[in-house]
Amino acid sequence: MGALVYIAKRFGLYLAVLFIGLSITFLLPRLMPINPVDGYIGQIQSRANGALSAEAIAELRENLENLYGLKGNLFTQYVDYMKRIVFSFDFGPSFTYFPQPVSQMLMAALPWTLSLLLTATVIAWTLGNLVGLVAGYFHKKKAASILEFVGILLYPIPYYILAVTVLLLLAYVFPVFPLSATFPVGQMSWEKVGMIIYNSLLPGITLVLAGFGWNILSMKALAVATTEEPYVIYARLKGASNWTRMTRYVFRNALLPQVTALALSLGMVFNGALLTEMIFSYPGIGLVMRAAATGGDYNVLYGAITISIIAVATAGLVIDLLYPLLDPRIRHK
Amino acid sequence: MARHGRTWMLPIMGALMTTTVFAQGAMTDVGTPRSETMIVQTFDGRSSNPSAQNPLNSYAIWRGFRELGWAALWEMDTATGESYPELADGFPEVLNDEHTKFRVKIREGIKWSDGEDFNVDDIIFTFDTAFKYRDKLTNVSAITRLVDSYEKIDDHTFEVTTATPVYDFVTRMGVYTWGMPFNWVPQHVFEPLGDEVVTFQNAPAVTLGAYKIKEFDPNGFWQLWELREDWDESGWNIDEEPAVKYVYYKDFGTEETRALAFVQNQYDVDTFMSPDSIEAAKARNPNIETFSATFPYHDMNDACSYGIYINNQKAPYDMPEVRWALALALDLEQVGISAMSGQFKASPLPLADTPITNPLYVEPLESWLEELTIGDGYKPFNTDFGADLVETLAAQGVDQAQLPSGDAVEAGFGIGWWKHDPEQAAKMLESVGMAKGADGFFTMPDGSPWVLEFVIPGDWNKVLQRVGFSIADSWRQAGFNVNARQVDNGEFGTVQTTNARMELQINWSNSCTYNANWQNSWRNFRADNVLPADSNDALVQNYARIVDERIFDIVSESASLEIGTEEFVENGRQIAKYLTEDMQMINLMNIPTTIPTNSTYWTNFPKQDNFYAAPYTWWSSFKKTVTNVEPTGQ
Repeated sequence: MGALVYIAKRFGLYLAVLFIGLSITFLLPRLMPINPVDGYIGQIQSRANGALSAEAIAELRENLENLYGLKGNLFTQYVDYMKRIVFSFDFGPSFTYFPQPVSQMLMAALPWTLSLLLTATVIAWTLGNLVGLVAGYFHKKKAASILEFVGILLYPIPYYILAVTVLLLLAYVFPVFPLSATFPVGQMSWEKVGMIIYNSLLPGITLVLAGFGWNILSMKALAVATTEEPYVIYARLKGASNWTRMTRYVFRNALLPQVTALALSLGMVFNGALLTEMIFSYPGIGLVMRAAATGGDYNVLYGAITISIIAVATAGLVIDLLYPLLDPRIRHK
Repeated sequence: MARHGRTWMLPIMGALMTTTVFAQGAMTDVGTPRSETMIVQTFDGRSSNPSAQNPLNSYAIWRGFRELGWAALWEMDTATGESYPELADGFPEVLNDEHTKFRVKIREGIKWSDGEDFNVDDIIFTFDTAFKYRDKLTNVSAITRLVDSYEKIDDHTFEVTTATPVYDFVTRMGVYTWGMPFNWVPQHVFEPLGDEVVTFQNAPAVTLGAYKIKEFDPNGFWQLWELREDWDESGWNIDEEPAVKYVYYKDFGTEETRALAFVQNQYDVDTFMSPDSIEAAKARNPNIETFSATFPYHDMNDACSYGIYINNQKAPYDMPEVRWALALALDLEQVGISAMSGQFKASPLPLADTPITNPLYVEPLESWLEELTIGDGYKPFNTDFGADLVETLAAQGVDQAQLPSGDAVEAGFGIGWWKHDPEQAAKMLESVGMAKGADGFFTMPDGSPWVLEFVIPGDWNKVLQRVGFSIADSWRQAGFNVNARQVDNGEFGTVQTTNARMELQINWSNSCTYNANWQNSWRNFRADNVLPADSNDALVQNYARIVDERIFDIVSESASLEIGTEEFVENGRQIAKYLTEDMQMINLMNIPTTIPTNSTYWTNFPKQDNFYAAPYTWWSSFKKTVTNVEPTGQ
């Protein structure tokens, strides 16, 4: 019964977070000092070499407001928006690329973002935690300082500098990878899959390098603290081996905050990695969101932010539900 | 396990080998021979809607459609500013004195890229579709408001009646500068769709130009065009087979990666690379060239010019003394040097000073500029602006051989600009009761603080961003309390169209007179397009906030004059005079377009000394480049 109440409470909180998040999402783009109709009219006018008459522009404005669903007061638009999202998960058409459906744009970009960022995040987390654990457990040894140094060296480098340096080294000085990748199109084949993996390696390596420094440092700090805990000392006095103490006593206890960080960072990958996409010409949701933000494309922003909110909230829910399984102390409470 | 390992390695090895071959220059990364492929950097980076290729709606416009895919009834010769027939068989016949009825003949034997005939049925179908779905299609308003009725005469002749008298029918229905306002669609593809035509993506599009789409990246990074086998039956009306078999538009990423890829000969023409990156790339690869071998290096032939647009309706900018003070306090030489390393061409009149506009407007008004007086008889024009700039650049260590001399100074740096005279600026302000306060900044006439809100582009237009900050710095030094606010392009557009939010803005929208047809840019200066100074409604076209009745009258009177006649052009000059003598907008310079080329694989690109077309890869006239470049044999 207690477990059910726990799950119900967490789930209720999850729904509340989603509702508040979606409502804020609706309002935020409308507070931006950008009018998507003006933006599109500007493009059309430019295409017409400035020759559109005032009447033509008035007609275009009227049509666009109708097509974009911008007619009616804010409340009507809000109700309509919530209905569409909740009942059919439909974000409507993109304003900038009307009539292309937002879902189509996001679905085309998401697999790229997810496959790169999920893989890189998990690798960076795993590598960082393993190195951090060894560095923390053996923190009095010289070799551990070297491992810590790797983390200290990588962590503070701004991502942009790190990415350009990696690109310069591995695509220009030693041209092992392309400077700007070209991803194959059409029917997939093994060769094309290989091309995609090969072209994704450079951004992947950069993301791992950028991510695992933090994991080393935080795991090392946790491991150092945990190593001094009485139960670890007790295990040592009982004659448990280094390996057993490190993996079963220190690692398991230091893992919880790291799992939380992993879950949250997995939720955040839905936001895409704008800089990665820009620097490595990698397709993904970051560039879609950037174009939408600068063009006032509300619907695309709604779509991307909603997915992100759902991802982060779901990650939080999953953590809450997993904690009792990972930590007997929480289960006991 | 070992077998799986080897299988897994195969695609990786294949990819590595493909890249190695690419690096050697034999093949491109899309599998075309490099020696037959012209590769250009895309104008907009990555496209978010590469599959949208229906020109009746918003579509992936920057992927070569205007340049290689569509064809116009009348195209623009960007070397001369004269229109020429492309799909049309000659120029239109005007059928009535009111200039509202026109007969157009199209050439026979033109085929779509799928081999079907192009004829008047396609044109009538496009008209029908545009009118039937005018409230659902987002890219047809240019035609639905211009055209009143249309009629097929025969398979190659049609007549159009316009809603109002039109004297520039050729450029309204064809190309004025960089592309057509709407495009013809193939009836045989669109008609079977019925009502679904409004959501039709049309990818890959069936086109009329000499090239057809071979492949495009659904992620929006590239598009590959291939020369049609029946190129001589395309809409382009060309006699010689182009040497370029493939045109590959690709986004090479950030400026850093672009510069590196350019040095590695991975592509042939860049777009908007910064002067610093070009200089670095040139130092590493002798095949990289700028538009001109000497200062100011870059192309200055865009239709528009950069200027500071002023809300002429809002105090204190409603006083010409204030506007002139802003112009005289602006040290354009310093702005140009600090923002663009001196690589710019000044233009005091409200248009770009190009080889096309110079004989029409600039040269005839040169002596007027020299004699112009303001206030108490002060002559503001500095004819030595170019010579002074050369001297300053030389003093700063620029190699003399890189600097123009003699007549080339005027051709390179322009006929002159306004004197930098902060003292005179102060006098002009004092004449309307605006003096410096205790903080050293000028105040409003009633003594209250005056903070100038100056809107400039953010990093989406780095050149203007730098220019904007330099101008603000120049004004601040002269005692103007300026708040230079950089904004994203979305907000930039909103400020442009909203009176209540606009004081001063760097802009180019109303200074786009490209040839004798000044109406294209200035017809928007009319009383209908003026809103109250504090209005939040969207302004139509008159982004310079011109409220001068004299100009409205000239625009109205000229609407019934034949374009290009002396009377018509003289009216344009008069508008330029009114705009200038009251400093209704502070024109700065031609738009400097950095468009470096790499001659490793192709030569004979348009250059200053080989100007057969505007060099831009995003104008429809790029077809001239594609048909004129020559392979180097590499």
